[in-house]
Amino acid sequence: MPEPTGVIHDIGYQRYTGPRLGRRHVFGALYGHGLRTVFGLGRSAKAKIFPWLVVGIVTVVAAGVTAVRSQLGQVVMTYAQFADAMSWLVIFFVAVAAPELVSRDLRSGVLPLYFSRPLPRDDYALAKLLSLVSAIWLLLGGPQLVMFLGAAFTTPDGLRGTWNELLDLLPGLLYAGLWAVVFAAIGLLVASLTGKRAFAAGGIVAVFLMTTPVVGVLSILPSRAVNELAYLASPSTLVGGVGTWALGDLLVPADQGGGIPIGSFGPVYAIVAVLLVSACTALLLLRYRKVAAR
Amino acid sequence: MSTVSWITARGLFGRRRFLMLLPLPAVLVLLAVLCRSLGVDPGEWASPVLVGLGLAVVLPVVALIVGTGVLGAEIDDGTVVHILTKPLPRWQIVLPKLAVAAGVSAVTVAVPLYVAGVLADSVRLGLALAAASALGALAYSALFLALSLVTRRPVLLGLVYVLIWEGLLGNFVSGTRVLSIQQWVIALADRMAPTALLSTTVSVPVAVVLIALVSVGFTVLAIDRLRSFSVAGETS
Repeated sequence: MPEPTGVIHDIGYQRYTGPRLGRRHVFGALYGHGLRTVFGLGRSAKAKIFPWLVVGIVTVVAAGVTAVRSQLGQVVMTYAQFADAMSWLVIFFVAVAAPELVSRDLRSGVLPLYFSRPLPRDDYALAKLLSLVSAIWLLLGGPQLVMFLGAAFTTPDGLRGTWNELLDLLPGLLYAGLWAVVFAAIGLLVASLTGKRAFAAGGIVAVFLMTTPVVGVLSILPSRAVNELAYLASPSTLVGGVGTWALGDLLVPADQGGGIPIGSFGPVYAIVAVLLVSACTALLLLRYRKVAAR
Repeated sequence: MSTVSWITARGLFGRRRFLMLLPLPAVLVLLAVLCRSLGVDPGEWASPVLVGLGLAVVLPVVALIVGTGVLGAEIDDGTVVHILTKPLPRWQIVLPKLAVAAGVSAVTVAVPLYVAGVLADSVRLGLALAAASALGALAYSALFLALSLVTRRPVLLGLVYVLIWEGLLGNFVSGTRVLSIQQWVIALADRMAPTALLSTTVSVPVAVVLIALVSVGFTVLAIDRLRSFSVAGETS
């Protein structure tokens, strides 16, 4: 066998000599890009329709609630109840956003390009998850801020009233964060299973909607323990259960029934929520190990 | 069975993701059996299982996934060109696809609803639910099939209808119920097997007329849209 005679000619391309940013910057760029993708920023008008439809509806509802409160002095819903009331819209938002974040990359086969950068497999999935969590939190937190501003500027008690209002707002924002983490973890896992945005959206909605009636059935079974544990079956009532246990009266005023009747099973709800989120995240990371290996 | 319906059926069943549809009906039957075996009063569990899960979730979601899948998936892939370039009248493309979509959704939904209806009350209620949900599956399929030709994001628009129009507004603003396929199905089922378990505000003649109107109207719209259909790339 003769010696290979081929040579690589230097045809004068310039090499990049500037600073090379590391892993943190890749993660940050991916996170920022994900957050923009969810709201359709930097993309065509068509991509903005559905996310901003949801944002518009929740903002209008918050403005309406604020107006009623400032005019009639009647508190329609607390900050935390606002998140509960918007649960269907949050489901729709996840069904819009999660496929947009992960399914497009799977379908167009650009993952090898991402993973050819100094970007560990897990970072990709975690950055996407983090941007979905932030997006849902902004979706729920923004209107709460509107409600807070409305209440703060119309309060008759001056600065003290504003301070009390702020103390009400913070648990509400915390609760919205809980919603965001649980819904983003489940939604992104379902979306990462398929490259077709249509099927991903259908699957996410099916998973979330299917579980709600299960709670309705379990809570009428003839066993008190089962009734009190029934709310574990659906993500939205699971979040409600954790909120009732952790925030108590801050979540729902006692004169309005005091949240979800979970009995003394509060810690169970918290543990299940943590397990659910970590299991979904672990499965998501596992999924991307497999996808990346292809 | 025409070639188009054969291709459509193979496109639906040939992939593993069809198995995604099975958990929905399975949960429905499982809950009904669970409630029945524990001796819970049907007056309490029939409403969440039959209406809350069966007619409000399983029927629209299955019809949405199947109805947008029969034509929307081909449009997404671009393989719809192969059918469109054949010398076929457009109705011979739309009608077989609608038949497959409606048939698959009807079977997937009607069988578990029949079982649940029998467990809840009587064979008559089971048959009524099965028949009404089959009609509902036809109306939903026609709607979602037409949507997949009118817009590039049929699933999201369908979800807006199912989640926001039927789910959210239907609960708070009772006026929108007149234009909700779910309420028509309930009205029909209640008429065929009068029980105390189902209740709706929509009258039966209105439901019959509107369900027929939606099924025919959206089919005609789909045929018309397919006449002047332009194939474009994926939306951004």
